[in-house]
Amino acid sequence: MRFSNTIGAAFAAVALFAATPAAKAALLSPQDEESSDESGEEGFGEDDGPETHYFAVRGADVYTGTGEVLRGATVLAKNGRIKAIGYDVEIPGLDFQADVPSKERGYTAEVLDAAGYRVYPGMVAIESSGLLGTGGDYRDSIDPFDQNMILGLSTGITSTGQSNAACKLKRYISQDPPVPYDFDGIVLRDDCYANFSWGSGSARRSVREKLVRASEYLREYRQWQIDVKNDKELKEPSKKGVDNSVLDVLQGNVLAKFRADSREDLLGIARIAQEFGFRPAIDGCREGWTVAAELGRAGAFAIVTPRERRDKSEMLVREGGSSIENAAILYAAGVQVAIKPASRGISLGGITGRDIMHLPVEVGFAIRGGLPEDAAIAAVTTVPARMMGVSHRVGTLEVGKDCDLIVTDGDLLHYQTFVQWTVIDGQVVYDKQDELYFAHIRPRAETEVAPLRRLDAGENEEAAEEGDSEADGDDDKDKQNGKDEEE
Amino acid sequence: MTLTTLLLAALPLTAAQPTTPDLLAIKVGKAETIDQGTLEHAVILIEDGKIVMIGEDLPIERGIPVLDRDPEWTVMPGLVNAYSRGPLDSRGGNDSTPGLRASGELYIGEDFYGDVLELGVTTLGLYPAGNGIPGRAVAIRTKADTAEGLILRDDAYLKIRMRSSGSDKKMLKKGFEDADGWIEKEAKAREKWEKEQEKAKKSKKGKKDDEKEEDKSVAVPVEPSLDDEESGDYVAPEKDPAAEAFLQLRAHELSALVAIGQSSDYLHLIDAIGAEEFDWDLRIPITTELDIFNVKREIGLRACRVVMEPQLSQHPNTLRLRNLPMELAESGAKLVLIPRDDSVVGHEAWLRNTGEMVGYGLDRDAALRALTLEPAELLKVADRLGSLTVGKDANMIFFEGDPLEPGTRVEAVMLEGEFVTGEVKL
Repeated sequence: MRFSNTIGAAFAAVALFAATPAAKAALLSPQDEESSDESGEEGFGEDDGPETHYFAVRGADVYTGTGEVLRGATVLAKNGRIKAIGYDVEIPGLDFQADVPSKERGYTAEVLDAAGYRVYPGMVAIESSGLLGTGGDYRDSIDPFDQNMILGLSTGITSTGQSNAACKLKRYISQDPPVPYDFDGIVLRDDCYANFSWGSGSARRSVREKLVRASEYLREYRQWQIDVKNDKELKEPSKKGVDNSVLDVLQGNVLAKFRADSREDLLGIARIAQEFGFRPAIDGCREGWTVAAELGRAGAFAIVTPRERRDKSEMLVREGGSSIENAAILYAAGVQVAIKPASRGISLGGITGRDIMHLPVEVGFAIRGGLPEDAAIAAVTTVPARMMGVSHRVGTLEVGKDCDLIVTDGDLLHYQTFVQWTVIDGQVVYDKQDELYFAHIRPRAETEVAPLRRLDAGENEEAAEEGDSEADGDDDKDKQNGKDEEE
Repeated sequence: MTLTTLLLAALPLTAAQPTTPDLLAIKVGKAETIDQGTLEHAVILIEDGKIVMIGEDLPIERGIPVLDRDPEWTVMPGLVNAYSRGPLDSRGGNDSTPGLRASGELYIGEDFYGDVLELGVTTLGLYPAGNGIPGRAVAIRTKADTAEGLILRDDAYLKIRMRSSGSDKKMLKKGFEDADGWIEKEAKAREKWEKEQEKAKKSKKGKKDDEKEEDKSVAVPVEPSLDDEESGDYVAPEKDPAAEAFLQLRAHELSALVAIGQSSDYLHLIDAIGAEEFDWDLRIPITTELDIFNVKREIGLRACRVVMEPQLSQHPNTLRLRNLPMELAESGAKLVLIPRDDSVVGHEAWLRNTGEMVGYGLDRDAALRALTLEPAELLKVADRLGSLTVGKDANMIFFEGDPLEPGTRVEAVMLEGEFVTGEVKL
């Protein structure tokens, strides 16, 4: 506890001199200087405590999702947030002070050697169901052991939309000593959309009326903000008849979400969006390719299913129905495209390949229709994150964002590729070789990668390695089962 | 002594059962004492229903009647089923009624008690039925003449059901909020009372001074005690039963038995408990694909009691067998085993099923403990039963072999020093 002692002393000093502001400033200024050049390259210590956790993936080709590919690079996370991405990144506990027991280092570190593998940002499913358990109140009903959650993680999904919320697939991993489950870390945001019905004439009318009233109010309010400076007594304009969710849409706080497929509906949405100046999100968007330019002008987001096959109505002469090119055409016209499979849950019956477990396969069909590969990956990472308003946390691998990533054995969108490890908040929550589901299909060669090294605070390296084999719940399980079979 | 003998003699006894003498020495081949291991050629001296001496090859004073079954018999403490409804029905609500007591449901004249006593079950913990927080369990002996006579200890534990749901979590939190509400109310009432006291004192002082001046000559002392009575002692506002239970939990006067159904429930329980501190144990019913192994380390580190059935389960989505009671016991949890089925038939198979678990790797001592001392601890009656220890009740089962072997017959059952079944000839 060398570091914490010095920190304690520093605090005591600050407390002593706190009475005189000048002394305080003098004491704090060197610290401020230190924190200002925080780039990930500086040493470790100072603010590290026993609860500080470092996680690193090294040697992999890192696809950051921002357009860059860093071959054989390292991603380093501190307490779940990405601290550094690049080359020559110092990994605490491994390169740095490797001979010093972690007790004195005062932090734990975990290193995943992934040379020959690829690292992508964890996928963000724009919508799914059943990955967080069966309850609707995610924080208080989540089942962080649910089979569907593990299957979602095996697909590479780390975050997902659940009706109006954006949630993380935070699985509970038993640690030694146990760390309380982070219930508050599940829901990233619970008010992602304002849902509008666009199905019937009356619904359309109602949307328009609400928009008219809300924009009227906004105009009055802005005028009032100016006028009130001169006349302090002036009353705030009445909010009567104003739909708060519509107001949020016009102020850009949430996305207006529509469910629409036909050309007429899409055109109507595009026009009303341009008229009132908001960006619509359109779920379905089957005939979007016929009015792509209009949707592009409206700055629309589209959630499409590339494999959908539906003929147009035979009564119509115009173009219509589904098209495998839909995503590609929409993208070319400037529409932000998110992709979802035909079934949003995990289905273990019927024909495989249509459920949320096959999100990358679904994306592959959009590429077949002409969508560029980077846009295809964005359709399951950055675009959904942006739509749900959580792109400051997830969607790409950037310094400061959550360390939610997947390590694959090939191109994410190739049908043969398996997710080998899934990491959420700097913690390995899925390891293909540790789970029942795919461990036996093209198993990872034991010698190919070094096993996960876990260095625990308060233990030396040898003890830590012993602890690791126990920390891994599945090892025990296998032992158990072996015993069972013997008897 | 004579009076007791007379009373005992007056009790109606079945013809097949000879009256058990007040002072009796029993010699058996083996005694599973639970807390002192296994004794070979054990001698147990019983007086007035209590064990007064136990040891290997103890000399027996002349004149003391001896029941010599060395080496044929094995003895172990009477079985304790800490989680049963016994003969009571299973209707219950979904609300929070922590003031309810299962002891209120007791009635006599039910075959169930006699039937399970014959199988060696000398103690039962009857819990109140229902979801939510149905109330408090009662520990009973399985033979008595009146319903009150059955009761060994009321308020054995408070049953709480916890699932991964907001409503269950809220219910637990609200319980502690109620307790906080009462503390606040009490503080206010006390403040008010104190103010009133002060006021009364002041006015009294004034009065006294006047009196002193006026009645100097008369000198009749005013009785202070009378005055105090008039103003009244402080009386705390009445606790509502919900708040009372949670205040008792906080004061460690009551412990909780929390029924969970899967691993996630455990995490939600920890979340709902938050910073509150109280004693709690777990009830985890074994289901086919129970996933509790996910949190066995966490449960083991808490070293709480876990009430389970002696039953194997399967690893989810496979046919691989798992011995979860064993896994939890090995992680450090204190195992309490209960019959798979809460019927007389279930109690009949209880020992055999436990034996099966030992066959599948469960530690034998842990298994025997899980049938006797651990459930007694859970019911807070371990000071008087649950093991063959000097000073405890003479609740015993006698077998003609290993109690956990299938096919071993129960030869006799003793409840508080009296043979209740079996033909025992001295």
